[in-house]
Amino acid sequence: MSLSIVGDVQVGFPAVRTGYGQQTYGNTSPLVERYTWLTVGDDGRATLFAGKVEYGQNIRTGLAVEVADELRVPLAEVDVVLGDTDRVPWDMGTFGSQSTARVGWQLRKAAATAREALIAMAADVLDLPASDLEARAGRVVSKSDASRGVDYAELVRGDAVEREIAERPPVTPPSEWTVMGQTHRRRLDGIDRVTGRSKYSQDIQLDEMLFATVVRPPAYGARARSVSATAAEALPGVVSVVQEDGLIAVLAEDDEAAALGARVVQVDWDVPQGQPSRWDMPTLLVESGAEPHPMHEEGDLDAGFRQADHVLESTYYLPYIAPAPMEPRAAVAAWEGDRLTVWAGTQRPFGLRQELASLFGLDESAVHVIAPEIGGGFGAKSPYALAHDAARLARVVGRPVRIAFTRAEETMWSNFRPAALIQIKSGFTSDGRLVAWQSDAYHSGERVMIGRRGAETPYDAGNVRSLVYRSDSPLPSGSYRSLGAAVNHFAREVHMDEIAEAVGKDPVELRLHNLSEPRFRRVLEQAAEEFGWNGPHPSEGRGAGIALGIDVGSYVATAVEVSVKEREVRVHRVGAALDCGQVVNPEGARNQMEGSIVMGIGGALFEASDFQDGRLLNATFARYRVPRITDAPRIDVRFVGDEDTPSTGAGEPGIVPIAASISNAVFAATGQRHRELPIQRHL
Amino acid sequence: MLTVNVNGEERDAPRGDRNLLSFLRFDLGLTGAKYGCGEGLCGACTVLVDGQPLRSCMTTVGAVAGGDVTTIEGLAAGATFEDLHPVQQAFVDEQAMQCGYCIPGFIMGTVGLLNREAAPSSGQVREALAEHMCRCGTYQRIERAVERAAGLMRGDAGAAGGAS
Ligand code: FES
Ligand code: FES
Repeated sequence: MSLSIVGDVQVGFPAVRTGYGQQTYGNTSPLVERYTWLTVGDDGRATLFAGKVEYGQNIRTGLAVEVADELRVPLAEVDVVLGDTDRVPWDMGTFGSQSTARVGWQLRKAAATAREALIAMAADVLDLPASDLEARAGRVVSKSDASRGVDYAELVRGDAVEREIAERPPVTPPSEWTVMGQTHRRRLDGIDRVTGRSKYSQDIQLDEMLFATVVRPPAYGARARSVSATAAEALPGVVSVVQEDGLIAVLAEDDEAAALGARVVQVDWDVPQGQPSRWDMPTLLVESGAEPHPMHEEGDLDAGFRQADHVLESTYYLPYIAPAPMEPRAAVAAWEGDRLTVWAGTQRPFGLRQELASLFGLDESAVHVIAPEIGGGFGAKSPYALAHDAARLARVVGRPVRIAFTRAEETMWSNFRPAALIQIKSGFTSDGRLVAWQSDAYHSGERVMIGRRGAETPYDAGNVRSLVYRSDSPLPSGSYRSLGAAVNHFAREVHMDEIAEAVGKDPVELRLHNLSEPRFRRVLEQAAEEFGWNGPHPSEGRGAGIALGIDVGSYVATAVEVSVKEREVRVHRVGAALDCGQVVNPEGARNQMEGSIVMGIGGALFEASDFQDGRLLNATFARYRVPRITDAPRIDVRFVGDEDTPSTGAGEPGIVPIAASISNAVFAATGQRHRELPIQRHL
Repeated sequence: MLTVNVNGEERDAPRGDRNLLSFLRFDLGLTGAKYGCGEGLCGACTVLVDGQPLRSCMTTVGAVAGGDVTTIEGLAAGATFEDLHPVQQAFVDEQAMQCGYCIPGFIMGTVGLLNREAAPSSGQVREALAEHMCRCGTYQRIERAVERAAGLMRGDAGAAGGAS
């Protein structure tokens, strides 16, 4: 049979101490049920269950590494089940790297519990004291007599056994890790990835499935006044045109017929006039700014400015940018009586289950959501309304329905990284010591926490007031790698460079002069060393820039070298240091750092979403440039965290300092200060 | 009936103007080639026709009838690591992947490049793969994978080892 390790979803996560900017990203469920986290089958293989999804962050291998080490089995003996609401423990969603670290911790405890249970079972079978036994390579063996031992497979062959996750199981300390902390180049899903076997939501196909194309409005806020579907209905392959509560969709036997049908549906659109356009944004952000939220208040700001030899005021502006994951959203829905199954590449399978249940007045247990592989999410694939549409249409036509976004639809009907305007006023002495720091950040969008992330200053200004406002958002805005942290960091770290320039100090030295938190000092020094920092002017025609930051409890710094030729900035190389505490899966963390740096280069240099009167002007790759291989620098990453500091995230921090590093390097190369992104629009 | 050779098998096509990517994915169930943009700009849909890369989203079944189409599913000899094409092995060993959505396209583009040029320079690699996008930003690893694959295919001993 098998051994199952069960527990609830909020057992004893250790508090993450970051020293600075301590934040919690909780994983608490209203449900206090027990879930199976881990099983050991009678083939000796372990299976772990987690509500997280795989969207490229390598969580499948990351979690398996933790279980393999604690359970003392080879990595290849661990199977991983993710993101399937009928099979895995409840989870709030895959975002905020912290919650992922906590699930990893829970699984380590589950695996350590399983190991202890197997040792106890072996003690009975072998008739030896448990103290004489240890687990090794899928077996329990006697320490005193190596010839005596028993395989896990054999131990669990009897009745099914269930154990509760122990409160404090003997979790393996880092000094004894043999799988964790090691380089695992070959991912568990590596072969599936390179053979096309990995299935994404775009790839799900069912028997009898219809292809649907939703007729989308040409502008935000537009409503259909009248619809004529006669021409579409007459097309070969079209099965029906559904019109229901504002949803207009063409259903067909193949994808091309559905797409063609949607193009020939005649709609008279009522487009609201007078919507803001992209050039209205800076003013709109400030004028609509509401709910100023103090992120950091300390000392006496007026007194601070009175002590200052210099006062510097600057304004920074970042436009909306598009997450543009390579896989546009797709969803497939199938009904069996009153039971609904939905495949959707969402970062929140349980959230989607709840939404669908309430949409159709069902119990959550009647809804099954499966998140297959996700072709990139970066935070944007938390909302997944496309799956609602698929479920509604499938209900109407009585057959399974697939909807997939085109690239343009994915861009327009996803959510953008919020636009922001940030004003910073600093006071400092002539040797560059900060004595006052005032910042007002206006972030677009309803979700205020987005703009708040990373708005504290790590520098010892003594007299600080940092406010974050919520401003109107003409475009749908939402999560994007690191939320507002990359945005807030851009302003602050360019400003620090301006102070260095004003007092004639080296940018590294100036920062160290104002930093007492040792973890910040260390990442800065280590990034500078990895890069070979030698001032902002490394060689003729080149500029170097540096910046630091913190996100999800991880400390990070990046130094970059650029050259500028004919309105093109080339980033040649990046030296980075990351302190994310213990590194459980170094190759995965390195891959994430590299990726977030490349992503950040796009936002720094050329990405901006343009819109006018409610219409998006650059929804396709023909008009929206993202980094390509020819834009990618050489990236060297150094991990500098302490072994005994709990793991924090590695997927987001890399993007946090990179835009400021680049802007600072461009200043060094050209003498032009870029306080507005993307830089190449203003060269 | 129009037929087209896909991965060594003659397959029936519904009509000549059927989009090649749709035909592969939905009519044949070969979902390894991906939709990323539908306008020839991202490379996710790349397949080989007579050994050379083609954006399947931009063409029709009729246009490739008579040629040999190879998709990512047709590249490996079997299911184990040892059975993989050297380019696939190299992508695994350099961990040249995150979400993996772009990877079949990059692999087919790389196979096409190495068919033309056994020892491409770094400039040639970048030029050949500049038409592909990886939003996860694994480019540095992809470049290393191409280099490793070229070595494997030339039979360089050094290219084989190294990964755990
Ligand atoms: S889907 Fe064919 S090039 Fe993008
Ligand atoms: S690995 Fe995700 S797009 Fe390339």
